[in-house]
Amino acid sequence: MAAPPPPSNPVAQTDDLLKRPLYAFDIPRELLKSLVVKGSGQDIAPISEPTESTEPTEDERFKEPDPTSGMSCTLCGVKGKTVQEQRSHARSDVHRFNMKRKIRKEPPVSEMEFEKMIEALDESISGSESSSTEDEQSSDPLATLLRKKATIKAAEEVVEGSPRKPRTPIIWMSSPMLPESTYVGVYRALLPDSTEESEVTQILPTLQTQTTTALPTASDPHIFLCMIGGGHFAGMVVSLIPKVVKRSGVVEREAVVLAHKTFHRYTTRRKQGGSQSANDNSKGTAHSAGSSLRRYNEAALTADIRELLENWREMLDSSSLLFIRATGTSNRKTLFGGDNPVIRSADKRIRGFPFTTRRATQSELMRCFVEITRLKVSKIDETAITTPAATPSPAPIPKAPAAKPKPSKEETLKLQHTTTLNTLLRRSKAPAIITYLNSNKLPFTYHLTPANHHTPTLLHLAASQSHPTIVLALLTKAPDGNKEPADPTVQNSAGKTSYDLAGDRATREIFRVARQELGEDRFDWESLGVGSPISRKEYDEATEREKTAKDAGEKERRDKETARLRNMPDTSSGSSAAGKGGKSLAEVLGTNAATTAREGETKGLSEEAKKRLERERRARAAEERMKRLSGK
Amino acid sequence: MAVRAQFENSNEVGVFATLTNSYALVAIGGSENFYSVFEAELADVIPVVHTTIAGTRIIGRLTAGNRKGLLLPTSTTDQELQHLRNSLPDSVKIQRIEERLSALGNVICCNDHVALVHPDIERETEELVADVLGVEVFRQTIAENVLTGSYCALSNQGGIVHPQTSIKDQDELSSLLQVPLVAGSVNRGSAVVGAGMVVNDWMAVTGLDTTATELSVIESVFRLGEGQAPSNVQSTLKDSLVESFY
Repeated sequence: MAAPPPPSNPVAQTDDLLKRPLYAFDIPRELLKSLVVKGSGQDIAPISEPTESTEPTEDERFKEPDPTSGMSCTLCGVKGKTVQEQRSHARSDVHRFNMKRKIRKEPPVSEMEFEKMIEALDESISGSESSSTEDEQSSDPLATLLRKKATIKAAEEVVEGSPRKPRTPIIWMSSPMLPESTYVGVYRALLPDSTEESEVTQILPTLQTQTTTALPTASDPHIFLCMIGGGHFAGMVVSLIPKVVKRSGVVEREAVVLAHKTFHRYTTRRKQGGSQSANDNSKGTAHSAGSSLRRYNEAALTADIRELLENWREMLDSSSLLFIRATGTSNRKTLFGGDNPVIRSADKRIRGFPFTTRRATQSELMRCFVEITRLKVSKIDETAITTPAATPSPAPIPKAPAAKPKPSKEETLKLQHTTTLNTLLRRSKAPAIITYLNSNKLPFTYHLTPANHHTPTLLHLAASQSHPTIVLALLTKAPDGNKEPADPTVQNSAGKTSYDLAGDRATREIFRVARQELGEDRFDWESLGVGSPISRKEYDEATEREKTAKDAGEKERRDKETARLRNMPDTSSGSSAAGKGGKSLAEVLGTNAATTAREGETKGLSEEAKKRLERERRARAAEERMKRLSGK
Repeated sequence: MAVRAQFENSNEVGVFATLTNSYALVAIGGSENFYSVFEAELADVIPVVHTTIAGTRIIGRLTAGNRKGLLLPTSTTDQELQHLRNSLPDSVKIQRIEERLSALGNVICCNDHVALVHPDIERETEELVADVLGVEVFRQTIAENVLTGSYCALSNQGGIVHPQTSIKDQDELSSLLQVPLVAGSVNRGSAVVGAGMVVNDWMAVTGLDTTATELSVIESVFRLGEGQAPSNVQSTLKDSLVESFY
C-alpha cells in the first residue's frame, strides 16, 4: 500500500483518520499497527509483591520444622510470636479477607491496605443514604467490603484482565495516532469465537481485506446476515471487500451485496400479536378463516426460507460469519430445522446482532451491516471514569442542613416577644405594649425577630400599620427606668425611616406631636421630614375635625343610600308577587352588617371572653323578647 | 485402635457415621454390620445411636459435633431431633443451625477445643459453633479447599489433612490447632480424609480399602496404637507416606 505519510503533522493526520468512517476490514495500516487495547497499557502494579513460592524444596521438606515457623501466617505474611498472637490473627478480619481473596485467586493484601479499603468503604457508605447497609456495615465490615469488592471488581476488570471479566459487545482500542481520550471500538462479534480482549490487536490485521476495483465474486470473503420475525424475512450475503466508487470527486466505499432476498407473509394475529402456531399450541386450533390463512402462510414462509437457504448453501458454507436474528422457537426452527439444514444452530460462526434491530427488511440489514463493520469512535473522559466516587460524595452535604438548627433559648424568647408585641400592636393597645416592654425590660428600640427588612423596629411596624397612639407612646412614653425612647432615625434595609412608612395623615401628624413633646434637639426632625411641631391639643383638634368631617360625609352617603334602598322594594315586590317569605335587600344588608359588626367586636378577644360576650348577648335578646311579649 | 469397616459396600465411613468422645451416630443401614463395628468397641463407654438426618443416611456429612455438643442442619426433622435428645447424654448440647451451607460435616471440622470452618459460613453460625461446641473457631482452608470438614480428620490427639497440604500450611494449622498434623490419605489414596474416616480419642474407623501404611499413619498421628508417638511418623514412616505420590 502507500508509503507511510510523513509524521510531521500528526494532528492533520488524525483529523483525516476520523473524518471518514473506518471500515473494520480495511483499517488504515498505520492506525492498525498502533492500536492498543484500552486499559492494557496502564496495568496497575499488583497490590502487593508476589508471594514467594510456597513449594518447599526437597531439603526444606525433610528438615525438622522450625518451632516458630508454624506461628506465622503465610497467607497474610504475618509473623506471630505466640500461639495467642497467631490465633488472634487467624480470627482477624484481614485474615478472613485474605482467605477469601485467596479462594478467588487474588493476591493477599497487607493490613495497611485492608484498613485503607475499610476506610474507603466507610466514606462511600456514608455517602449512600441506605441505612440498612450502614447497619450491616457496623456489624460486619468484612461482609460489606466483600460485597463492595464484588461490585468494584466489574470496574477493575478492564485493568486486571482476569478471566471473569464481563464480555462487552465492543472492544475499545486507543492509538497514539488518535486524539487524546479518543477510542476506536470494534464489535466483538466480528472476531473469532473466544477471542480475548488482549488478542484483538493481533487478530484484526489478519481480518483485513484488500480493496479492489475488480468485479466482486462469490469467492470473496463474505458474511451472511438474516432476520426473521413477525412473518418478515430478510437475508443478505455481503462481500467484505467493498467496491470503491468515485462520487463527485470523493472516493467512497460501497458495500457489495452478493445476494439478497426478503419475504413477507401474513402470519401474525392482528391486534392479538404472536404467531398463529403459538396460539394454536397454547389454546388449541382456532377455526376462523384468518387462522387457517395464517397457518398456511407460516408453512409457506418456512418453505420459502428453506428453499432460499438451500439455493444459497454454497455461499453460506463459505461465509466467514453468520449474523442471525431469530427469536422464538418457531423462528429458530424455520432456520435450523428441516432434514438437512443449511445452518446448524451449533455453528461456531453464528452471531447475534449486538444491538437492537428493527423489522426485517433489506435496508435494515444494510444498516446493520454498516453498523457492525464500522469502527466506533468514542471520546471517553478517563478522569470522569476513574473518579466515580466523586459523584456520590456531595450527597451527604445537603443532608446535614436538612435537620433545622434548633433555635437557641434566647432566640425562642425573642420570637415570643415579637409575637406578643405583634398581637398587641394589631389591636392598637398602646398602654399594653408599653407595659409589656417595661415588664420584660425590653428597650423601646426593640428590633423584631426574625429580622424583618421592611419593618426592623417596633416603631416602623406601628407607623406602617397606622397606629398613631402606639407611635406616640413609643416615642414619648419611655419611663425613666427605660431611658431611651424609640428611635425614629433607624432605617430599614430600603433606607426608609418609620416616618416614611407612616400609612396615613394621622400617623404622620403624630410624629409632629412627638417632635413637640421631645423637643427639637432630641432628633434631627428636619432631615426625617417631619413637619413643624404641633401640640397634642392641636393634633386632637385636627383629628377631631377630620373625624367629624368624615362622619358627616359618611352620614350623608348613608342617608342617600337608605333613601335609594327605600325606593327599591316597590320595584322588587312588584316583580316578585310571592315575595312574602323573602327578605328585602335592606334586611339582608342590615343583618349582614350586624353580623359583621358583631364579629368585629369579638375580634381579638380570647375564647373565654368571646363566650361570655355571646352569653350576654343571648340573655339580652331573651329579655327583649320577654319584654315584647309582656308588652303585647 | 483403628479398625476398618464398610457401610453397604461404601468405604466412606465418615459419610455414614459421626464419632465423638461422648457419643457416636451411625446411619441406619440394611444390615447391622457397620453398627456392630462401633458397638463392639464403644458399647460400654458411650452411646451409639442409630439415626437419620432429614431422612437421609449421610449423617456424617450433615452433622458436626464433639464431646460437648452436636450441630444439626436445619433440615433435621423434629422427630429426629427428639430422638437424638433422648439418646444422647444430657451434657451434650444439641443445636439445629440455620445455615446455607447445610452439610455441616463438610464445612466444620472440630475436636473438643478448636474448630476449623468454611470461610463463608455465616457469622451467626460461627458463634453457635463456638457456643455449642465450646471451641475456638477459625475460618480456614485446607490445601486451598474450603471444605475443611471433608479434608481434615481431627481428634484431641492429632489430625490428618489433605495429602497435598503444604508443609507450611501444616505447620500453621498444627500451631493453630495445637495438635500434631500429618498430610495423608485413607481408603487407598482417597484425599477426602474427613469423609473417609471417623476418629475420636480412642478409636478410628476407616474404610475397608485403607492400606496398612495408611492405617499405621492414622494410628500413629491419633496415638491409637501402643507406643506410637507422632514423632515416629515424622521420622520412620516419612518415606512411605502417601504424600510423596502427589
